[in-house]
Amino acid sequence: MTWVAWRLQRTETLVALLVLALVAVLLVPTGISMANAYHHDGIGSCLSSNPGFACSNKIGAFQSQYQTLNFITNWFTLLPGVLGVLLAAPFILDLEHGTYRLAWTQSITRRRWLLIKLGLAVLAVIAANEALSLLISWWRAPLTQITGRLDSGTYDTTGTVAIGYGLFALGLALALGALWRRSAVSLTVGFVGYFAVRIIDEYWLRGKLVSPLHAVWHGTQVPGYLSSASILSQTVTVNGRVVESNSSSGGVLGAHSQLAAPGSGQHAVFHATYQPASFFWTLQIRETLLFTAVGAAMLLFAAWWTYRRAV
Amino acid sequence: MIAFHLDNRSGVPAYLQLVLQVRHAVRMGILRPGDQLPTVKEVVSSLTINPNTVLHAYRQLDMERLVEGRRGVGTFVAENPQLVPPDGLDALRATLERWVTSARGLGLDDEAMAGLFGEAVRGSSSTDESKVA
Amino acid sequence: MSDFCVVRTRGLGKRYGAAWALRDCTLEIPSGTVTALVGSNGAGKTTLLHLITGLGRPTDGSVEVLGRSPRDEAQNVLQDVGFVAQDHPLYRNLSIAETLDLGRRLNPHWDGEYARERVSRLGLDPGHRVGKLSGGQQAQIALTLALAKRPQLLVLDEPVASLDPLARREFLSGVLEAVAEAGVTVILSSHIVSELERVCDHLITLAAGHTQLEGSIEELLACHRILIGPRADAASVARVHNVIRESHTERQTTLLVRANGHVYDTCWQQHEVDLEELVLAYMGYDPGTPLAAAPLEPVAR
Repeated sequence: MTWVAWRLQRTETLVALLVLALVAVLLVPTGISMANAYHHDGIGSCLSSNPGFACSNKIGAFQSQYQTLNFITNWFTLLPGVLGVLLAAPFILDLEHGTYRLAWTQSITRRRWLLIKLGLAVLAVIAANEALSLLISWWRAPLTQITGRLDSGTYDTTGTVAIGYGLFALGLALALGALWRRSAVSLTVGFVGYFAVRIIDEYWLRGKLVSPLHAVWHGTQVPGYLSSASILSQTVTVNGRVVESNSSSGGVLGAHSQLAAPGSGQHAVFHATYQPASFFWTLQIRETLLFTAVGAAMLLFAAWWTYRRAV
Repeated sequence: MIAFHLDNRSGVPAYLQLVLQVRHAVRMGILRPGDQLPTVKEVVSSLTINPNTVLHAYRQLDMERLVEGRRGVGTFVAENPQLVPPDGLDALRATLERWVTSARGLGLDDEAMAGLFGEAVRGSSSTDESKVA
Repeated sequence: MSDFCVVRTRGLGKRYGAAWALRDCTLEIPSGTVTALVGSNGAGKTTLLHLITGLGRPTDGSVEVLGRSPRDEAQNVLQDVGFVAQDHPLYRNLSIAETLDLGRRLNPHWDGEYARERVSRLGLDPGHRVGKLSGGQQAQIALTLALAKRPQLLVLDEPVASLDPLARREFLSGVLEAVAEAGVTVILSSHIVSELERVCDHLITLAAGHTQLEGSIEELLACHRILIGPRADAASVARVHNVIRESHTERQTTLLVRANGHVYDTCWQQHEVDLEELVLAYMGYDPGTPLAAAPLEPVAR
């Protein structure tokens, strides 16, 4: 039975492997060269000691050299969604084409059929996304040293969250497929749904997963730890009155605000809520569990619905 | 070896058509004593009919002592198949010719004669059926 | 034919939402028969067949196949039941050999030799992808899958509906060969009646989810008659026999009756009914019309 389920999933699994292979073709050569450049330019030592002018130039140059690739790999966070809906396809096609009637009138129970078919899809999603995560983590290592792991490009594609995302996308596509029994529509809406939920997650949910910390500082001396933190919101107050606020995580206000110019005479106080680099794994685990739990719930719904309702 | 043919529109039950075709074949010498009839599976395959129909026909022929079934081997034409003897055929033909003359005398054309004759054949074959059923 | 019943239903009903697709269905299918399940589209044929193969769960009543519930004991029952669903679904991307392998892996009793031999007799290359075969060839592969587990019961849902006449013939021949060889009991549904008379020996008709006719075709045809006579009221006939269909012209009345015993009234010309006419008449028959109280017996046996 396992062989049968695997054979019916073969095409989709090969496509997933192809996707991974294409990613590898892009990342492996560039990753090697980036790692070499990192060592060659001595960026590691730059970061560990106090950055002087020459060092920050080197770091800046290094970052801009790999800016395009960095930008491209940020979009790899869509891949768990792609892989998830892809591996939901065999199950939905079975329902769409009526071949489940063939499978369920051989001598196996439909419970067994559902268990093995869905189980294989889950395993494939986990394996593919784990491989993707490891590959991207390896590639990103030099950049991570510079910017920390909490900037959204890095956070989304490393650690364990990709697995949660993939299982979520799989569960969503399966649930839609169980209801609608149309593969094209289910996969499309499933992916769009994944995308929408990911946006909400990135700009709202993540900030809520762990209570953020607060930082307060005066003048232009931005605390160093903020450069590797995820900043959720910032405000600037002068004499207790809010003069500027920014709720995006793009850059630290304090570094650019003219209010902090020395000799301005104004007493500006900078506030920020942030999640420090040390929150990385806590965030990862909570987010992974959340997405996995929702994905699992939808998958179980798809299984239950099909088990009870399909004739 | 005999090849069966079914006429869907003749109104004659399928099994009876098979019986009649075997009788005719034995009479004409197409089937000789000891020849094997097609197996049930072969007939079913070529005519796409229910196997029970074939079994019914072969059972009837067996009862008429025209054929005998040998278990596990097949159905064979009997050594002394009981049929209308050839002399009887000449007498029948003469009767038929007299009948045709009478019918023409009454003004019946070929079609009317065929219709009358067909009715009589069908009428007698259903009594045939109730006799042996 | 033995008295053993392969399928037995009692008050079987299935409802989807508010609508009853099948209601109050009580029938028995004897072993060794080839039963035609006839009815217009939407009459409940597919629903009944799905309940027999365990694909659906009854809302009302019960169904037993080989003495067991096909839904609750699927693993046991389905070993002995071969099913070809409507439009003979197959996995298009598998080759013929892989499809047979699927059958081998998912069924405990599998006659691989029979399957391979049947495929080669059909002139098909086992390496061919199923999706590339013609409709008739696909139907034959689906049939091979069902027959190779050497079932006691073969259930076919409109197996020849989308096939050309030659493919239809070949498919039915294949089914009947299995009956001749192994004594398989067959239920096949169709909305085309004309071909069934020489293939089937039993009949079940469904209309709007209810069974109308059930029994051996020979007996059913024997107890129905067409009566033709001068224009008259059907009431006198209806007192004794069940009038299924009546039609009148200015001077003539034609009745199709289910006779309770002989029709003695000599003003009626009597004709036999053929299967197609019988089924058509019942399709237009309102089951609400009260039938004669006397038990029905076949005529002229």
